[in-house]
Amino acid sequence: MPESLENRPPVSTTGSCRLNGMAFRETLCRWLVASLLCLSFMTVASPALGHRVLVYAYAEGETIHTESKFVGSGPVQQGPVKVLAQQSGTVLLTGTTDNQGKFAFQIPAEAAAQRVDLLIVVEASLGHRGEWLLKADDYLPGAERAAPSAAAATPATAPAAQAVAPLDPAMITIDRQVFEETLNRALERQLAPIKAMLAESREDRITLTDIIGGIGYIMGIFGLLGYFLSRKRQKS
Amino acid sequence: MHISEGVLSPAVLGGGAALAALGTAVGLAKMDYEAIPRVAILSSAFFVATLIHVPVGPVGLHLVLNGLMGLLLGWAAVPAILIALLLQAILFQFGGLTVLGVNTVIMALPAVICSYLCRPLLRRPGLVSSVGAFACGFTAIGFSALLVAAALISTGQAFLQAAQLAVLAHVPVMFIEGIITLFIFHFLKKVRPEMLEDWNA
Repeated sequence: MPESLENRPPVSTTGSCRLNGMAFRETLCRWLVASLLCLSFMTVASPALGHRVLVYAYAEGETIHTESKFVGSGPVQQGPVKVLAQQSGTVLLTGTTDNQGKFAFQIPAEAAAQRVDLLIVVEASLGHRGEWLLKADDYLPGAERAAPSAAAATPATAPAAQAVAPLDPAMITIDRQVFEETLNRALERQLAPIKAMLAESREDRITLTDIIGGIGYIMGIFGLLGYFLSRKRQKS
Repeated sequence: MHISEGVLSPAVLGGGAALAALGTAVGLAKMDYEAIPRVAILSSAFFVATLIHVPVGPVGLHLVLNGLMGLLLGWAAVPAILIALLLQAILFQFGGLTVLGVNTVIMALPAVICSYLCRPLLRRPGLVSSVGAFACGFTAIGFSALLVAAALISTGQAFLQAAQLAVLAHVPVMFIEGIITLFIFHFLKKVRPEMLEDWNA
């Protein structure tokens, strides 16, 4: 499109027309042409849509993994991450995302002890910011299990020795503990990609419908404005 | 260019909101009946342009078209930008309602200033008007980037550092917008010169 404009013969710059008595519709038509021109420029240079910073966090064992990205245009690289206790607002730890937008940290001991909800805040450059609330219930099964499993290791041998004679009841409980732990770990591993997928789908992509709807709203708002102005005009 | 919610201090948010309200009032007062379709369409163009991202380095950049809006709308660019940003905040959570004022000032103030600076140049014949149109698109973005940096001072970021980052990140957009503004100006001058005449208002 730019080329075709350039190739046009130059038109004298002094040509002047008057705006008087111009019909509303005419103005609208020429502005539609102008805006279509703008839009065509933009669509040429538009491989990606998006703007917001999206943060997603999940627990795996005693580690919390976070991923941050700009919606539609790639990871937040080297962005500062803050982990806050949601209720008190105190900063528990800080870090920086890697080039894939990932950042992982151990569950802070005091957070696990007080069952605080973690607010993970990522501040990308130029005032872009995203956050994710990780509820205590969502990350604590991992941390809780770590503590009992260490504790379980010692009684595990004691009741086992003790249980040799009667054999049944104690053995079953131990087996159940070990089994549960293994099951949890396996489930976590299997579910991690699904959780990631869920977060991905939560990433509100901007659809064409939304954009067209937005344009419609703008036209409507200015249409209303035009209506009121025209009434004022008629009165005066 | 949209600053997210929760980044800025209440003082900056309040100041931004007050300035935006003032600008909107002036814009609405200056906007006459014939101008409404063009304000609406440029508002839509802005709405779409600021949604579409081109990844450049670590950040995705988008066109803003505020230079063009200033050139064609003058003060009416303020309500146009305000409404587009309001819809983006509601529909897409871009920016946010509390930062609406600040974001409006960031993008609309340069539009108004550039309209005052560049319109006299655009009335001249030949090369001067071309330079004026390019400068209008080019400087509006640069000025917006500086305003982003200024707003971020309140978060404790050093101004020079933030300003450097913001301006450097927007240099490609500055050129692109300059060229787009130049083309649209010439297109309108050839096709609809009367549209560029009612500037005295």
